[in-house]
Amino acid sequence: MKMEDMPLSGPDNTRLEALAHDIYSELVEDACLGLCFEVHRAVKQGYFFLDETDQESMKEFEIVDQPGVDIFGQVYNQWKNKECECPNCKRLIAASRFAPHLEKCLGMGRNSSRIANRRLASSNNMSKSESDQEDNDDLNDNDWSYGAEKKTKKRKSDKSQNSPRRSKSLKHKNGEIGSGVGAESYKYNYNTGISYETLGPDEVRSLLTTQCGVISEHTKKMCTRSQRCPQHTDEQRRAVRVFLLGPSAPTLPDADAVETDSFDIPDAQPLMSRLQWEDSDISPTDSASSKASTNHSDSRKPKKKKKPSLPLNSGGGGSGSGSLAGGGGSSSQSNISISTKKKRPKLSAPPISSIYDDLN
Amino acid sequence: MLKRIMSKDSQMRAAINQKLIEMGERERLKELLRAKLVECGWKDQLKAHCKDVIREKGLEHVTVEDLVTEVTPKGRALVPDSVKKELLQRIRAFLAQHATL
Repeated sequence: MKMEDMPLSGPDNTRLEALAHDIYSELVEDACLGLCFEVHRAVKQGYFFLDETDQESMKEFEIVDQPGVDIFGQVYNQWKNKECECPNCKRLIAASRFAPHLEKCLGMGRNSSRIANRRLASSNNMSKSESDQEDNDDLNDNDWSYGAEKKTKKRKSDKSQNSPRRSKSLKHKNGEIGSGVGAESYKYNYNTGISYETLGPDEVRSLLTTQCGVISEHTKKMCTRSQRCPQHTDEQRRAVRVFLLGPSAPTLPDADAVETDSFDIPDAQPLMSRLQWEDSDISPTDSASSKASTNHSDSRKPKKKKKPSLPLNSGGGGSGSGSLAGGGGSSSQSNISISTKKKRPKLSAPPISSIYDDLN
Repeated sequence: MLKRIMSKDSQMRAAINQKLIEMGERERLKELLRAKLVECGWKDQLKAHCKDVIREKGLEHVTVEDLVTEVTPKGRALVPDSVKKELLQRIRAFLAQHATL
């Protein structure tokens, strides 16, 4: 053995080889000895034979080594090629597809209701396009996206309808579609945003110089995207800046940009008349920002006096504001005292709506 | 002359063994060998052999020496070649690095 391993370079190497082998033998003997000690201890402590039972049981659970069978003796692909008859539709279905088929066939299980609704929706959508506006409100309770799905179905029919990613397309439509239509209150805006109520004037200013800042109707949060964000128009951005920073900020220099909102009701009259007056100048595209909730209704009024180019909801907002009017009138009283002291005037859109009602 | 070579040889061996232990290489080699023997099933084989020996000698009267004399030669023979080769390789590498003649 040593002769075979011997490299050709002389006696030193033979010695080294011999040494290597000796070391190896010692290591192996150590291992054997270790095993002997272990076994001996097990014997003397009485646990050496614990893993054995009587002969019969041992035979029963012996390892099986036959072809076509696993080590337990079971045939493992026995049901692969079988077909089962569905008790519902009487069709022959492959065994691996049987469970999902039963789910759909019997109408039970997690996805079956979704798919069924979707099919109904698509067939309905083809027939009547606009008339499911009212239905949306009813469906609000079931699942937040169903009604929205109807509307946007044609556009994203190829996307997966059952996954949580449905919500994404709705996000983008929030700024445009949601503005003019009051029934779309179920749409959600998932952008993380900042609530302008919590910001001081300087923060607002700095924020508005870097970010889009358009205030979402539903969440009252400012859009944190860039100044060129596709969800909002420049008009909206301008409107927000005017709203938050005072009329002097973006376009018109004005004297009282920096007042805090101390407001009382008597001041509303001249404000309202001015607002009505300027309403005709206002572009309809600004209505997106104007759909803020009734919270803002009156607390913003004081600043409105000075803003000639208010981005108010015009006709578009008017229809939507109809629904807000009732709530606006009632909450306006409470909001006057609450929201004043700290903030710049907010967007006038909701106050306008209530003003309209007063005027009308 | 042979005596001198021999004593030099044994000196060298002692020195190498000492180095092996001091550097922790011996311990590492031992662990490596143990792991490999378990992996290749050597331990289970030998344990089965032990069972036979014990059944033969009687559970109560088995001594360590009995086991050692029965088990060690068989153990040496049962080590698979791959394990042996790998270990020898590592030992040679160590010697090449640290043996000074």
